[in-house]
Amino acid sequence: MSTQSILGLFQQPESAADAMDGLKEAGFELGTFDVLTGTPYPEGAFGEYVPQHRLFRFPAFGAIIGFTLSIFLTSVTQLAYPMVTGGKPILSIFAMLIIMYEMTMLAGVIATVIGIVFESRLPNMKPGIYDTRITEGWIGVVVTFDDDSKVADAESVLNKAGALEIKHAK
Amino acid sequence: MASEAVAHESEHHAPPPQVAADVIAQELIATTTGATGRFKAWAWILGILSIAGIVALIVKFIDQGDDSTKWGYVAAMVSFLLSLAGGAPMVAMAPVMAKANWVRPITRIASLFSFAGVATLIMLIPLVAILPPLVTEGARRRTVWFMAPDYSPHFWTTLGLVLLLVTGIMLFYSAALPDFASMRDHSTGWRQRLGKRLARGWVGTDAQWRTLRMRIGMFGTFYFFILVFVNFLISTDFGQSMVPGWRDAIFPMYHTVSGFQAGVAGVVIALYFSRKYMKLEKYVHMDAFWSLGRLLFALTLLWIYFFYSSFIVFWYGRSENDIATLDLLIKGPMMPVFIAAMLLIWFVPWWILIWNKVRRGTGAMVVGSFIILIGLLLDRIRTFVPAWSVPPDQIHEKWLKVIPDAYWPSIFDVLIMVGGISLVALIVMLMTRVIPVLSVWQVQEFNLLSKPIKYIRGHATLVAKPD
Repeated sequence: MSTQSILGLFQQPESAADAMDGLKEAGFELGTFDVLTGTPYPEGAFGEYVPQHRLFRFPAFGAIIGFTLSIFLTSVTQLAYPMVTGGKPILSIFAMLIIMYEMTMLAGVIATVIGIVFESRLPNMKPGIYDTRITEGWIGVVVTFDDDSKVADAESVLNKAGALEIKHAK
Repeated sequence: MASEAVAHESEHHAPPPQVAADVIAQELIATTTGATGRFKAWAWILGILSIAGIVALIVKFIDQGDDSTKWGYVAAMVSFLLSLAGGAPMVAMAPVMAKANWVRPITRIASLFSFAGVATLIMLIPLVAILPPLVTEGARRRTVWFMAPDYSPHFWTTLGLVLLLVTGIMLFYSAALPDFASMRDHSTGWRQRLGKRLARGWVGTDAQWRTLRMRIGMFGTFYFFILVFVNFLISTDFGQSMVPGWRDAIFPMYHTVSGFQAGVAGVVIALYFSRKYMKLEKYVHMDAFWSLGRLLFALTLLWIYFFYSSFIVFWYGRSENDIATLDLLIKGPMMPVFIAAMLLIWFVPWWILIWNKVRRGTGAMVVGSFIILIGLLLDRIRTFVPAWSVPPDQIHEKWLKVIPDAYWPSIFDVLIMVGGISLVALIVMLMTRVIPVLSVWQVQEFNLLSKPIKYIRGHATLVAKPD
């Protein structure tokens, strides 16, 4: 049994949305079909499955790490070389703020870059079935299945919704 | 709908006609190829000037690397380039966060300025080497670093600028992924190969679009935080802390806000020339210029607000250090430069941009933007040149006892300044050969979300805001 995908191409977004509805009604599981567009349509425009993302966790995690490291760095250096200045305590928060801010930002940015690699599924080494007309405004509805017997059902749904072309890939 | 829009084209407020998505992709990708002779000539001129500037910078470092009083113009250039190249990408961010539709087609041209941060970094390298340590001859100058190690400003400012550059490029790249996919699909030759490599397998799934929106927001937020921070470091470490007794809490914010002003002016200029010479009138609508005009006008007014807020404290204070600071920066040898700067960065553009008719055109807008940039350069010169002309053995004193004479630019300084500005222009121009100057997917999104409609007896654009 091999994974197979088909791609239905539509010019009208309403037709693509009909195809997505049809696939749901035909019993295809959420996550086995997706919509490909060259433009970011508003979320839910095609009635598509909207998975939860965790991208916000990466910068938050990075910022916490950076902030902690910066407190460690500034505190340890000041405690290692204690000098009282202007009657202020050895660990003066305002003298530490600049480095704390910069290290928090630094770690936040690095973690965000790492997060993007994970969450965007990029680099996508096996982009799968695709058509260059999608970046010209066409809309693709891609269906993936392990069971070859469902191919005909999916084609039927896509054709019924008005697919202008259906492409196959193994 | 299209025929209705075309019929209204000659009327003043008629919404622009919409363009089909495939035409947008083909035409915008085509702008990366077929550079005109004029474009190539300008690229050569700017390239030669940039190289001359870098050579002058190296020669100056070898010749005058031991005398910090001669480096005021380079410090002014670092500040100016940070303002221009650092401020411009904010135009790609702030209105997008405010869900403004007009800005979508022009975010690319604003984010291209991120790459010009390389010019700022090149200028900063010798300056960091020359910046006096916190302790000179056993005395510590007053800085935001308190008792930190001697070379703290050198390290953290450089790191901050590198971080700004990286974040700016990531902001650009995040938003450019779908366009690299378009180039992979519709371009040819090395551009297609580059698109394939940089698109990283982008196919436009819902998950990819969702994370794209998220990361533009995240990098945009980071960019803003880091930009303000780097402005703070440059203005304090390379400006205020070089002058004994110059204590001004408003100056870093003044520096930042005037940087935003320069950024918007830079975007207006780049937009004007790309629209005119790449024939992009049907994608860059007048609406974008009107909105940028309002933004520029508001920032021009903010300049005088921040300047006056800063000035009045010194003027009323009249302590020894207040008087010395005013004498150094405003009333002393730099007075003609200060007056010229104030006229060009505030009064003249204010008088130009105040008129609705001007903001609804492009010609006077671009003239106003050029004037603002000249004014800003003069303002940076009148600030950083006298600050750096203070001898290092005096910078740890309580206030400036003797106001140094005005330091006039040498031929190297002139070459460095011309070279730095040329390098920014060259980088932006060359980037338009690599990726479409307008974002393909954002122009398509602009059309997707806005429809020209007839509204009672007038015309309007119906804009969806689903984000």
